[in-house]
Amino acid sequence: MLLNRASVGERWRIRPDGPAKVTGSLEYLTDMAREGMLHGLVLRSEYPHARIRSIRTDQAKRLEGVHGVLTYLDVPGLNAFGIARPDQPVLCEDRVRYVGDAVACVAAETPELAARALALIEVDYELLPVVAGPIEALRGDAPQLHPQGNALHRTSFRRGDVEEGFKQCAHIVEETYETPRQMHTYMETEGGLFVPEADGRLTVYSPTQHGFMDRMQLSRILAVPQQSIRVVSSPIGGSFGGKDELNVQPYGALLAMHTGRPVKIHQTRWESVRAGLKRHPMRIAMKTGTDAAGRLIAHRASIVADTGPYSTLGAEVLNFATEHVIGPYRYDHVDVEGVSAFTNNGMSGEFRGFGGNQAIFALEGQMDRLAERLGMDPWAFRKLNLRRPEDPGPFDQPIAATEGAVKVWEAIAECSLWLERGAPAESGQAMLEPWIKTGIGAAFTMHGAGLGVGIPDPAGGRLTLAPDGKIEAAFGYEEFGQGLIATLELMLIEQFGFAADDIRIIIGDTDAVPDSGSTTASRATSMMWKSLRRLKEPFASRLLERAASVLDAETGELRLGEGGIRERAGEALLLTYRELADAEQSPIRCETSFSFPTSPTDRVGAHFMYTYSAVAAKVELNVLTGRVKVLRQFHAVAAGPVMNPQGYLGQIEGGSSMALGFALLEDAVMEEGRYMTRNLDTYLVPTIADQRGAVDVLPIEHLPEGDEHGPRGIGEVGSVTLGPAIAAAIRQASGKWVTRLPVDPASLQETPVFLSEAVNGG
Amino acid sequence: MGLNLRETGSTPKVWHPRTAAEAWAYKRNFGPDGVYVAGGTLLRTQWEAGIVRMPANLIDLSGVGGLSDILIGEDGLLLGSQTTLQACRMHALLQRTFPMATDAVRSIAAPSVRHLATIGGNVASVVGDAVTALLAYDASLIWHTGDGERQEELTDWLLTAFQPGSLNDRLLLSVKLPFPDEQDRADSSAKRVSAYHKVGRREAFTPSLVTAAVHGFLDASGTVESIRLAVGGGQTVPRRLEEAEREMTGQTLDAKLLKHVHARIMELYEPREDVFADSAYRKRTAANVIVAELWRASRTST
Repeated sequence: MLLNRASVGERWRIRPDGPAKVTGSLEYLTDMAREGMLHGLVLRSEYPHARIRSIRTDQAKRLEGVHGVLTYLDVPGLNAFGIARPDQPVLCEDRVRYVGDAVACVAAETPELAARALALIEVDYELLPVVAGPIEALRGDAPQLHPQGNALHRTSFRRGDVEEGFKQCAHIVEETYETPRQMHTYMETEGGLFVPEADGRLTVYSPTQHGFMDRMQLSRILAVPQQSIRVVSSPIGGSFGGKDELNVQPYGALLAMHTGRPVKIHQTRWESVRAGLKRHPMRIAMKTGTDAAGRLIAHRASIVADTGPYSTLGAEVLNFATEHVIGPYRYDHVDVEGVSAFTNNGMSGEFRGFGGNQAIFALEGQMDRLAERLGMDPWAFRKLNLRRPEDPGPFDQPIAATEGAVKVWEAIAECSLWLERGAPAESGQAMLEPWIKTGIGAAFTMHGAGLGVGIPDPAGGRLTLAPDGKIEAAFGYEEFGQGLIATLELMLIEQFGFAADDIRIIIGDTDAVPDSGSTTASRATSMMWKSLRRLKEPFASRLLERAASVLDAETGELRLGEGGIRERAGEALLLTYRELADAEQSPIRCETSFSFPTSPTDRVGAHFMYTYSAVAAKVELNVLTGRVKVLRQFHAVAAGPVMNPQGYLGQIEGGSSMALGFALLEDAVMEEGRYMTRNLDTYLVPTIADQRGAVDVLPIEHLPEGDEHGPRGIGEVGSVTLGPAIAAAIRQASGKWVTRLPVDPASLQETPVFLSEAVNGG
Repeated sequence: MGLNLRETGSTPKVWHPRTAAEAWAYKRNFGPDGVYVAGGTLLRTQWEAGIVRMPANLIDLSGVGGLSDILIGEDGLLLGSQTTLQACRMHALLQRTFPMATDAVRSIAAPSVRHLATIGGNVASVVGDAVTALLAYDASLIWHTGDGERQEELTDWLLTAFQPGSLNDRLLLSVKLPFPDEQDRADSSAKRVSAYHKVGRREAFTPSLVTAAVHGFLDASGTVESIRLAVGGGQTVPRRLEEAEREMTGQTLDAKLLKHVHARIMELYEPREDVFADSAYRKRTAANVIVAELWRASRTST
């Protein structure tokens, strides 16, 4: 059954954070202010690559109203950050490697004064040659950006003997695919308020996807114990992976500690584009072959990623892409190689889909080309080569088996959009506007969740009956618009029987929540579900035991219900949660911690849990202009039970909107290390007018009997498959293969058919 | 989104003239240190991007009387220069009589911008998307020149508008759209072809890559009685393709003529390119959309 408001009935709820967001009354962290606060600004590099000869701050420091002008000399601890490998300077000392590199930061009484102070800082640069792309970076004569060279990370995976495999192939397709430098384009740009407290601690109000990671990184930079920092990190006006790494927090924290006053920083969109993360542009060359009957035999993929100047999660993204270019298909011989290279371009890093988007665009392109070469229906071709439930994962690792792949395959095969592809309806429009062409395509993915083998991936949460009678659910996850609060509330209502009013949700505050790991990698809903499952029995029985003693009853006669403890057999409210809390000396509390399940393999980055998803899309191409519109989408998603229908639909729709931008519009264009798209008037994301077509979502909730893992992640998968489906639809519409995203309209333009007729008839 | 802080110098003074003459006097007085501001939507983006510096004086035109109305004149419709794009869009007579102007205005920027931005500002920017549609209606401009009003053909003004030393202290009062000739309206067998296209990098709220307008009449036999072709888009100054218009007039609109027109547009239209679209794409697009409209008209007229 399609997921929509009508089909889910009462489970479609008003989300707790909805009204404040819709009315604009919600205070985001970047809206906060404190009396007497200073305004911080960061001086970024003027050049993509240069040596710093000197930095002079005397003039800026002398300006009245300026309270802090900091350079690398003022960083008390580690002058570097990076989730996986701290190699990005907080404040550059002798070299800048991209236009977002920070050289100095200032705090002043007004934003205007801060800007004036920034302009008074004199930096003497000696220009260095710009490494403008990853292929150039890997040449022997390229300037080396780091002591270990320009290759941040290399990957490889081999099964069988791919050269031998190609010899057996009847059909071989070779193609190179390129994907864009996509920007997260969250509505709320980076920023926050940094408050030195009376007790010597520092409170950081700044969005992040993992408060404890920020706390650890900031403690390293400030050279203070982690416990002396409190990170408040929700609500967040969008992140999509882009705020997981530190951004302006080091500058706010340093300036606040230095001046002893609250400091506010909020980047303009210009600063955000310049300094912020983007999706890794990748160039993926593939060679894939089948036997005469269409069975895949050999698959070779070579990935080159532009990771920009510093590591952040570039290596992990490449690991993910390496796994996902293999995908949900069976081959005898596989050979994958990947390299992620440092360049003087913008920073690449974590972004919804995490390397899967690029990989699947290439892989699904191969499947469509091979099917056509064989004269087969592209979906039948996929079925022939699709993994079986008991098959190992792409890296031959054990995975949690489900029937997701085949069920998703069937859903597309049976959907009206796919059936229409085989029998296109003749429309009168073709006569009236022969320049309009339509096509339908589909694409498939299996998308891993969790951080994978070899990376600490903690999870957990805490339930408390608070002194005021509220059931407090505390998790270290973040609300960045995905509906985490609503999902958690609905789980508590449905699994425990509480009413919404009974519940208080506490997230995004390192002083108040346990470390549940990061809100990334499609993991939060799964981990909340698992936490609640582990907490349910101990927490419920402690509440009931205490209630039984207060009521002088047997626990077997009682149950948890709305408002309090109720009789098991009836509705009668015997004891409110408030009364229960009042009767207790100390809060009733249960906590759990565990790790995201991983595959028993040594292969770093290999996943254990997967979401299977496919989408069919119909496009309309106007050959006069080469412009493409997406008319309709049908998504089938096998991710276990739907925890929150509204959130689920929102994730798939929202993800597909990003995929539409990835496929048709978005690219942060760089030339010689400088952004050509510096603001949202040239970097274009889809508007509502670009996505008027209907989006149908079919959740496949089935899981095998005895499955212990519950709901799979859906946070990323919606953003993965639409790109290649659009490319396939364009092929049907125009006869042209797309190898580069975003699609270049010029490549799809045609001279109007009536002009060719004039030539022929002429 | 806040101002780009690096671009803010000192805050400009804002002057509020009540008459055109007063506004003109301010401009005359300040010279390059004074800038007329209507909706300010384009200026703001230029200041923010650091393309132009915020001037010392802003001469606010919103209080100048009589410039915000659409009036029916003797031989044309007069769009007051301070009429917002939104007001243009909602004006019934404009829509009925000059639908391409409404189409052009509808696709400029986004609603919030259209409520501030004015038709005069769009024209004064020289490369505004509305200009292409106005050209196809043979619009003229009425200026306050200090010693009175002066009317000038839009085509003539565009030729010199970007040249240094052009008369940029004049104040645009209104845009005049001439009503169609009696003859055109009386000849009921004539088939009208009239269409405006804007092609950008996305479907809405986008700068144009190409704007194209075609406006004219075919007689019952499919012969071109009159035709105007106008092209612009992006940073290209819009212009009429008068050579192509002349070559078409009096000719039968058949496959051969369509092919000829396509080739001529490709030759005559000289768009400025940028990193997002090259000249070849813009030429093909303009030629394709104009010829497609002509083809459509030729089919329904026979």
